Amino acid sequence: MNFLESIKMATTTLVANKMRSSLTMLGIIIGNASVIAMIGIGEGAQKFVSNQVNSLGPNVLFVLPGSPDSQRRPVFPPQNLVLEDAMAIAEQVPSVEQVAPSLNGSELITYRSNNASASVIGTTPEYLSVRNFDIAKGRFITNLDLKRNEQVVALGSELAQQLFGNEDPIGQSVRLRNMSLQVVGVMQPKGSSFGSNEDMNAFVPLTTMANRIIGNKSPYGTQVTFISIAVDSQDNMAAAQFQIENLLRLRHKVIDEDDFTVRNQKDLMNILGSIAGALTILLAATAAISLLVGGIGIMNIMLVSVTERTQEIGLRKAIGATQSDILIQFMIESVILSAAGGLIGTLIGVGGVLLVGALTPLEAGISGVAIVTAVSISGGIGLFFGVVPAKQAAKLDPIVALRSV
Amino acid sequence: MKTSISTQLNPQNFQSNSVIIHLDNVTKVYGMGEIQVQALKGVTLTVEQGEYCSIMGASGSGKSTAMNIIGCLDRPSTGSYYLDGVNVAKMSENNLAKIRNIKLGFVFQQFHLLPQLSALDNVILPMMYAGIPAAERRERAQEALIRVGLKNRLNNKPNQLSGGQQQRVAIARAIVNRPVLLLADEPTGALDSQTTQEVMDIFTELNASGMTVVMVTHEPEVARQTRRIVWFKDGEVIHSHLTPNDLHSAVF
Repeated sequence: MNFLESIKMATTTLVANKMRSSLTMLGIIIGNASVIAMIGIGEGAQKFVSNQVNSLGPNVLFVLPGSPDSQRRPVFPPQNLVLEDAMAIAEQVPSVEQVAPSLNGSELITYRSNNASASVIGTTPEYLSVRNFDIAKGRFITNLDLKRNEQVVALGSELAQQLFGNEDPIGQSVRLRNMSLQVVGVMQPKGSSFGSNEDMNAFVPLTTMANRIIGNKSPYGTQVTFISIAVDSQDNMAAAQFQIENLLRLRHKVIDEDDFTVRNQKDLMNILGSIAGALTILLAATAAISLLVGGIGIMNIMLVSVTERTQEIGLRKAIGATQSDILIQFMIESVILSAAGGLIGTLIGVGGVLLVGALTPLEAGISGVAIVTAVSISGGIGLFFGVVPAKQAAKLDPIVALRSV
Repeated sequence: MKTSISTQLNPQNFQSNSVIIHLDNVTKVYGMGEIQVQALKGVTLTVEQGEYCSIMGASGSGKSTAMNIIGCLDRPSTGSYYLDGVNVAKMSENNLAKIRNIKLGFVFQQFHLLPQLSALDNVILPMMYAGIPAAERRERAQEALIRVGLKNRLNNKPNQLSGGQQQRVAIARAIVNRPVLLLADEPTGALDSQTTQEVMDIFTELNASGMTVVMVTHEPEVARQTRRIVWFKDGEVIHSHLTPNDLHSAVF
């Protein structure tokens, strides 16, 4: 029997058992689709992250509490970064244009019967320009608010919509931890950044946040969790970072390890990129496992099929099929199953990637490498997991096979 | 490899061409160690070209074992077996497959048609293993099916055919490679008396046209339609040349 005829014969057999064939393929289909979709989505996530970082502008530095080493550990950072540090940076580092310290928390905000969980950011007026926010209606936090610990708030657009609907929020009062805050402004929609929805933010004066809302926990001054710094030009970034680090070391009386971290855009890109990369690997690994399971499924079905088809095998041998004829027949069947499954899975995976691209901000990429890898792996799986059942079939004794009923 | 097989397949200087089956003191022992079953205890049997022969005997008499050896599905433990002048007793598995393909035609009690294939494709199957070109295969399969009276059933699947029709497809499949020997194992065991007769008529007609036919059966009415009856008992041939007329007096 020549090769083409073997393929035709295998196809006939597989088509005759549509249910079994399609269920067998399902494992490979799912495996393949997920490998391609996951790698595509992972790549999309990486692209998304770099876009986000770029959108911050090239001239922004961030200061976080805790040593660079401790940033990798899931522990609460120390409370040693204070408003006074931010003011010192603004005054003493020449290339720094503006400094926006912030103290962040997550709180429930209520207006009448509506409530929403918001990310409350205690900050200063500079935040607006350093972080590229715009006000849509009313005003932002002012220096006077800061000085007086005013109970005022500027709401993100989505938060305002959730709390007030079509009502005008300006001048209304919202409640936060039994405290009443007057709405003074509504922000322009901004979208998401680093996975947090910037339109669900509530901006309050830093002093109000520190003294009245979450309470000041730092012994060194008014605690902040984050300082955003705008540097006047890209050329001065390195110098500014160096000066800020030195200044903070002096102020914090650092002896060996820094108790703060200064990040620039490139650092962020690397960190987030490596997170996204790890995520991609994780997703791909999970998908690869399902591909493996699909392969084992093929072996399982082919083994069952050998048992089920002993009479057919016996008959074929009786009328002249050699061991290698039978071996090739079963191998071809499993390779066809896995290759067809691979092809369908690829189509579904590509479809999934396109769907994700259409429905989410992720620009999911269709990776040619992923497709080639997935399809060849599933073909290989068919070969690999087809060998055992095929060998078993080939070795069947025709007398025993024919007698079994 | 191919040439060596073809030389093996060619009748050698053993005997005249007219002897199809020659079993010479064949034994078959199953099992190993202490639990051994001697299924054949030295069987010597000769069947000549054009014979119409049935093998009878109680179950356990060794007739099925003999049939398997004659059909090259099994090898004798000792002794030699010449099929069409070629000693196949010590042949490799692959060469036996080729012998089964080219020299033998099998008909089974359970028909053993492949359910996913049409009657025509079932008949084509042995020719695929023989490597016959596609166009010729089709033509010969049609011829064979017409010969067994299934001209109008070429494209039916086995489950669209009656038992008798299925067995006729199986016979067409058995003769399509023009074997030297047609072997049938209880060919009418799954059929009612009327279809049994239809199938027997085909065997008789094939034999009349020169085909050597050997069948295992336990039905005296079937055996009576053949011309020679070989009787097995306890792994031995006790009567090798009964005629249908002897059947009654000798056994029953």
